[in-house]
Amino acid sequence: MSHGPSAPARPHSPHAHHEPYAPVFTPGSARKAELDTIIARYPEKRAALLPGLWMIQQERGWISEEAMTEIAQQLDLTAAYVKGVVSFYTMYHQHPVGQHFIQVCTTSPCLCAGADDVVKAFLEHTGCKELGLTSPDGKFTVIEVECLGACGFATPVQINDDYVESVTPGKVPGILSSLK
Amino acid sequence: MSEQKLVNLTIEGRQVAVPEGTMILEAAKQAGVLIPHYCYHPGLPVAGVCRMCLVEVEKMPKLAPSCATAVGEGQVVHVYSEKALEARKGVLELLLINHPLDCPICDQAGECELQDYTFQEGRADSRYREPKRFNPVEDFGGDVLYVTNRCILCTRCVRFMDDVHQDPVLCVSERGDRAMIAKAPDADLTQPWAANVIDLCPVGALVSKDFLNKARAWELDRTASVCTGCSQGCNSILETRDNVVVRQKPRSNEDVNKFYLCDAGRLDYRWMNRADRLEVPKIALAGALSPVDWEIAYAEAAKALAGKRAYVVASPKLSNEALFLLKRLITKTGGEGAFRCATGPEAPLPGVKDLALRADRAPNVQGAELLGFARRDADVLSGLKDGDVLVLADDVLEGVDAAASAVAKASAVIVVGTTLPLHLPKVAAALPIANVAEEEGTFTNLRGRVQRYLQAKAAPGLARPSWYALADLATAVGADSNACTLPSATFAELAASEPAFAGLSYDLIGLRGATVAGAGAGAA
Repeated sequence: MSHGPSAPARPHSPHAHHEPYAPVFTPGSARKAELDTIIARYPEKRAALLPGLWMIQQERGWISEEAMTEIAQQLDLTAAYVKGVVSFYTMYHQHPVGQHFIQVCTTSPCLCAGADDVVKAFLEHTGCKELGLTSPDGKFTVIEVECLGACGFATPVQINDDYVESVTPGKVPGILSSLK
Repeated sequence: MSEQKLVNLTIEGRQVAVPEGTMILEAAKQAGVLIPHYCYHPGLPVAGVCRMCLVEVEKMPKLAPSCATAVGEGQVVHVYSEKALEARKGVLELLLINHPLDCPICDQAGECELQDYTFQEGRADSRYREPKRFNPVEDFGGDVLYVTNRCILCTRCVRFMDDVHQDPVLCVSERGDRAMIAKAPDADLTQPWAANVIDLCPVGALVSKDFLNKARAWELDRTASVCTGCSQGCNSILETRDNVVVRQKPRSNEDVNKFYLCDAGRLDYRWMNRADRLEVPKIALAGALSPVDWEIAYAEAAKALAGKRAYVVASPKLSNEALFLLKRLITKTGGEGAFRCATGPEAPLPGVKDLALRADRAPNVQGAELLGFARRDADVLSGLKDGDVLVLADDVLEGVDAAASAVAKASAVIVVGTTLPLHLPKVAAALPIANVAEEEGTFTNLRGRVQRYLQAKAAPGLARPSWYALADLATAVGADSNACTLPSATFAELAASEPAFAGLSYDLIGLRGATVAGAGAGAA
């Protein structure tokens, strides 16, 4: 069973308690201005949905249902439409993830180069119990992803926005300790 | 319409001529061929997502989705060619990959298009050996339960909420094998017409909580009826099992309710099964009501009415036939008739012209008015004069304090109803009648459309159909109604003596309805 980034962590209720949502696109804010600039580029407001969702994810770490409602209001869409989009793309998080989001490539070439053991090492050293779950300290979430396009440097791992290449199980503790 | 160009084509060897722009799937229906389909529904925009309606069209390089391919002059369509069958077999195999095949515990079993088409054209077995994807059942709110694993993602429900109900709260969430129908954050399917998604769902993914595990589809007897929830007169099907109504569903009628029935209407059937019914005729004997033979009860009622004015309080849930015979009684005794009707907020279905849960919550307000009954919602007894005989025709004066009210003015009370109200003073005779599920009759909806309903179950005890009991009663008071031997004969008498109903007959009304003279313009 694959755990895509957006696969909701089923053990938790989708309505699990979290802090009250603070809107991202408040009037006069830099994010609102950024969104308006993007909206102005396209004939339809709807076109700004993907960049708008990225902004929310950068600000809040994930995209909550309140966030979907907020961006829907900003772009004159329905919350249902936004939910369809957010859940379609696996790179939008529908639940909170660790501070360091670790994506290990396990597509064929990396698998041949031992990506499985890399995944195991990450799970073990981060304390994450399962793929897709967050470590108890809230720092790490580990998932498997399909080809990261760095087959020549198997096994590549993407940690937030950065690539770490040619990872072996032995390098995992060092990588983790280098993360803030 | 007469200028519309017709296109000739051949479907499965049958020649048809259909208007230009018709889709092959609809044209095939006219040729008597039902092309298997899931996402296509005549009441919804075309989506073309299920690929189940693929057919072979000669000279086309690929199979065509017949729901989204317009007819062309001289086209030759093969629905059951080897190529088309093979393609649909493949579609079915893929749809069943993650389907739980839990037909033995699925409410849809027996009326499931996935079962039907798999039986017709599917593979006998699956080549898929992996574990199936599993998702939990989700409560969608209202009457709707979503069994995710059974869903084939035809998106009929999404399109209904988007385009017909125009409250877009559903979407397709996730993708690939994880895809499922989801609600918008904090939304529920509690909209007044939302439960129609259950009927629209071709499989067992959206099921009714009300009907959950109540009966197997093949155990049900189905009877054409008319919803009694409001004056719209939506055509419905009453589904019964062992003489109990267990479900009400919409019956499509292009001119009234299309394919839909509102939630309030579809769930308003339990009263048809109520057990505390008036089951035998009764008369007052030595201060108490005692069961008697019908003939004695008629005679007792006639005796009470002799020389008196009848003040009839009729329920607008009575048929045209019953109201017509009450009118005869009124005319004969020089009395008058009144009715009252419960009201509530109107709830339109935005995507369909002139369709709503109407403010008047009874099916035959228009019929009562056409037959001369006065609407007195505030005080239905306001016209009652000293010495009148109060005839309560299926209105039990609920909410009226019978002891304190004007009932005291009446010289006697005659009850013609499905129940016997307690604490009603002066009841001389009580005549048990059948309710809407137990007899045949017609209602006139708010646009003047007369529509028939048929008998779905047996009446309890000695209760007689309302037209039967009232024809006998009218005869007993001297208004000869012996010709009213059948609902159709009663309606024929009605049509002959009431100008508004002139020219109508059961044959003409059929099961789709027909409009009374002078009506029909009302539709906005």
